[in-house]
Amino acid sequence: MPTASRTDTPSIGIIANPVSARDIRRVIANASNLQIADRVNIVLRVLTTVASLGVPRVLMMPDRGGIRAMLQRQLRREHNLHHTFPEVEFLDMEPTSTVDDTFLAARMMRAAGVRSIVVLGGDGTHRAVVRECNDVPIAGLSTGTNNAFPEMRESTITAMAVGLYATGRLTPEQALVQNKLLAISINDGERRDIALVDAVISTDRYIGARALWKTESLSALYLTFADPQAIGLSAIGGLLHPVGRREAGGLAVHLSDDPATRRLLLRAPIAPGMVREVGIAHWEPMPAGQPFPVALQAGVVALDGEREMAFDAGDRVRITLRENAFPTVDVARCMQTAAREGLFRLSSSTT
Amino acid sequence: MAGTNPFPLSRDELLKCYRTMGTIREFEDRLHIDFGRGDIPGFVHLYAGEEASATGIMSHLGDGDRIASTHRGHGHCISKGVDVVAMMKEIYGRKGGACNGKGGSMHIADVSKGMMGANGILGAGAPLACGAALAAKYRKKGEVAISFVGDGASNQGTFLESLNLAAVWNLPVLFVVENNGYAESTSRDYGTAVDSYVDRAAGFGLPGITVDGTDFFAVYEAAGEMIKRAREGGGPALLECKMVRFHGHFEGDAQTYRGAGELDSIRADQDCMKKFRAQVTAAGVITADEFKAIDREVLGVIENAVKEAKAAPLPTLADLTTDVYVTY
Amino acid sequence: MARTISMKQAINEALDQEMARDPRVICMGEDIVGGAGAEGEKDAWGGVLGVTKGLYAKHGDRLMDTPLSESAYIGAAIGAAACGMRPVAELMFIDFMGVCFDQIYNQAAKFRYMFGGKAETPVVIRTMVGAGFRAAAQHSQMLTPLFTHIPGLKVVCPSTPYDTKGLLIQSIRDNDPVIFCEHKALYDFQGEVPEASYAIPFGEANVVREGKHCSIVTYGLMVHRALEAAATLAKEGVEVEIVDLRTLSPLDMDTVIESVTKTGRLVCVDEASPRCSIAADISAQVAMRAFGALKAQIEMVTPPHTPVPFSPALEDLYIPSGAQVADAVRRTLKGGKH
Repeated sequence: MPTASRTDTPSIGIIANPVSARDIRRVIANASNLQIADRVNIVLRVLTTVASLGVPRVLMMPDRGGIRAMLQRQLRREHNLHHTFPEVEFLDMEPTSTVDDTFLAARMMRAAGVRSIVVLGGDGTHRAVVRECNDVPIAGLSTGTNNAFPEMRESTITAMAVGLYATGRLTPEQALVQNKLLAISINDGERRDIALVDAVISTDRYIGARALWKTESLSALYLTFADPQAIGLSAIGGLLHPVGRREAGGLAVHLSDDPATRRLLLRAPIAPGMVREVGIAHWEPMPAGQPFPVALQAGVVALDGEREMAFDAGDRVRITLRENAFPTVDVARCMQTAAREGLFRLSSSTT
Repeated sequence: MAGTNPFPLSRDELLKCYRTMGTIREFEDRLHIDFGRGDIPGFVHLYAGEEASATGIMSHLGDGDRIASTHRGHGHCISKGVDVVAMMKEIYGRKGGACNGKGGSMHIADVSKGMMGANGILGAGAPLACGAALAAKYRKKGEVAISFVGDGASNQGTFLESLNLAAVWNLPVLFVVENNGYAESTSRDYGTAVDSYVDRAAGFGLPGITVDGTDFFAVYEAAGEMIKRAREGGGPALLECKMVRFHGHFEGDAQTYRGAGELDSIRADQDCMKKFRAQVTAAGVITADEFKAIDREVLGVIENAVKEAKAAPLPTLADLTTDVYVTY
Repeated sequence: MARTISMKQAINEALDQEMARDPRVICMGEDIVGGAGAEGEKDAWGGVLGVTKGLYAKHGDRLMDTPLSESAYIGAAIGAAACGMRPVAELMFIDFMGVCFDQIYNQAAKFRYMFGGKAETPVVIRTMVGAGFRAAAQHSQMLTPLFTHIPGLKVVCPSTPYDTKGLLIQSIRDNDPVIFCEHKALYDFQGEVPEASYAIPFGEANVVREGKHCSIVTYGLMVHRALEAAATLAKEGVEVEIVDLRTLSPLDMDTVIESVTKTGRLVCVDEASPRCSIAADISAQVAMRAFGALKAQIEMVTPPHTPVPFSPALEDLYIPSGAQVADAVRRTLKGGKH
């Protein structure tokens, strides 16, 4: 194994959301529920993997949803068994069991100088990390409901890629890729937020249980990318007019229930197990940097699947696509490069 | 911006829910004071801080829907429609109390309102709620039962057995885990091996969801979907409400186990009534003055209840041996 | 019209007639139908000893097999009773009450009192009691005193098919929670039972044999041991009076006092462990209320203060015998003033 080229102690962060995939879609659509025990197992696999690649220290977000408590129990058992783990340090913060925990943890990890943050969650959790910390590369592990953004991949492989980058075996140019996001502004920046996959305008006007699943309430969708294989509201765009994750520009889709203004009816998987008909009025490309005004007078903006920002008559809502907005670890490319460059070969005598 | 109501409840319903939450808060805060003065006999467990859960859930229920409550049952009683004066008399151990002074704080019930009783035995309500749901299933009127349990009592075998029985019999029952972080004084991290209550439901093949129990609208919407599903034959489910407890496990609890500043911070940032007012006034549906008027009205209601309770007669020897059996 | 049937058939008939009469009556328990969800025969068992066999064919889903989960389903029966149903839950062996006792003694028993008389819990818990089946310490106990101790519960323990049918029907119609104890050694005991439905009121002991020398107060299987003793003693010129309590709560002390007042002597026979038993309770009450009528010491015949043993050799020694009862009568006849 080549020696790490960087001499300072490389550390990474892990933000594992205990309540991703716990919303109302479990009841209305049989969506999956990844159990805490499984989330802890994912974290344990990440830990042993990065330890084997020489990452000595991992910072973790504390939570009151069961991950920390169970992980600590497991780590004590692993210690008794003399298994190799990095030093795991929980951030010194009081969990509130809200998204604020993710915001704060991301800021603290950035301040602590972690090389990368491994995120366990769905689109919503990833959005929260990026909102607070858009210059530390993140590596996503899908444990949420609507997972258009994080890819489905065994956590060991993601952790190997993160370990290669964090220990300096791969350069940023080799390991990282830039992503698009949507910037949402209400009243010229009075309120701001972002979305990584979709910003959806709904006629619902309160936050409530957060998830969106009633198609009759949908007014418009703004998408960074639109994958025909995606699940969730971005699938509407994906099945209408695919736009790649790495392509320039995004997609805006305007919806209508009214047969007079509706151009077509589209069938799309708007949530796991929920294939619904949606009335489409029209759609248009979203060039980067161009603000799109929201036409609806009063409603709510859902960001990556969750109702977040309520607005009323008189509020001016603008949505703008930004390119090269934040880096992620490109796991596939990392592993290909590692193979090509023999980074995992322990001896050259057999080549 | 005023005039349009973004919420799934009418203005009147919102006012009613706020009045219910306010009644619970004032009821509990008043008991806290009066207990401290030595006016209240026995054990009292207060629900203040958790009002959004009871109110958000009970808004979907009628008298034919049954609930099985916990030792921390005052909020469930009030939101299920039990008379506040009768409750106060009961807690003071008076004749004319909800249970004629024979039950006290931990056993307030009103079967005519579908309130099957607060319960001094943790976890004991879950099988009873299954029974209420079974009765509802035979009656075929679309009634449901709700089983309330705390995060601590969700470790009781009765609760876990009930999840299984409800799943096996497809009972119209909703299990609500009111997770306030403490099993008495013991933190849930210590006492619960996997402290996700949704995972317990998953272990029995039931859907479960977690909501912010300090957000009335989150509870209301989630509970509404789950109760509707149960009424239509969709079977049992579990709702975890993450919430905070403003008072101790019982009155007299010095709460030294809490972290420094914890109580101040939860009262400042996680007060479900503050959150409700903020959301509803921001939408322009109800004004701050209107809320204040309800606060004043509720204050009067509780003041009157205490006055009536203190004036009510004490039970006598003749009451000691009645009501053990229907016939004997 | 009366015909001879077993106690098991009497239970089955009582359940059948009450289910036909009242749609609120439902039955639940482990294997009371049998074979639920399995590929073979439905109603395969009809209860572990076949007591409820055939009821499923008549009443369908009003009989429910339960998971092996006593606290959940006994609690559910109690909850359903509090919501207007009349559930009959079978707790296979009374020994299993340890895993569901809270639901019985803290919930069902106390609802009415705790709720100020505003609740009714008309649940029946049928349960097998008693030794003699070589079933060892956890399937053979006579735990009647534990339930009798609890205010709010009614406790029934019949000794004949006739009483079984009438008392079970009364239990189902009764508005309080009833623990209905069925002695497994009596399941095949035969007796005359009318076909028509009838209820026997609670709190009425039955004088099954009249006599003037000594009163034997007992219940359940021990009634038959007392009868054996009576037959032996009759040959010695001793005529005992046997009082079958039938219900332990409520308890018909008047009939007991009346009998003791007549005979002046008392032998209490109880299959329960001796301490704080029904025998001890009756003895204490008689000593209190009819001390002046007693001509000699009260005698108690009970098993020793041990768990029920397994070995047939030991179990036969454990269960009070007719001979032990006869000896106790002889002791009290010898004692005291004449």
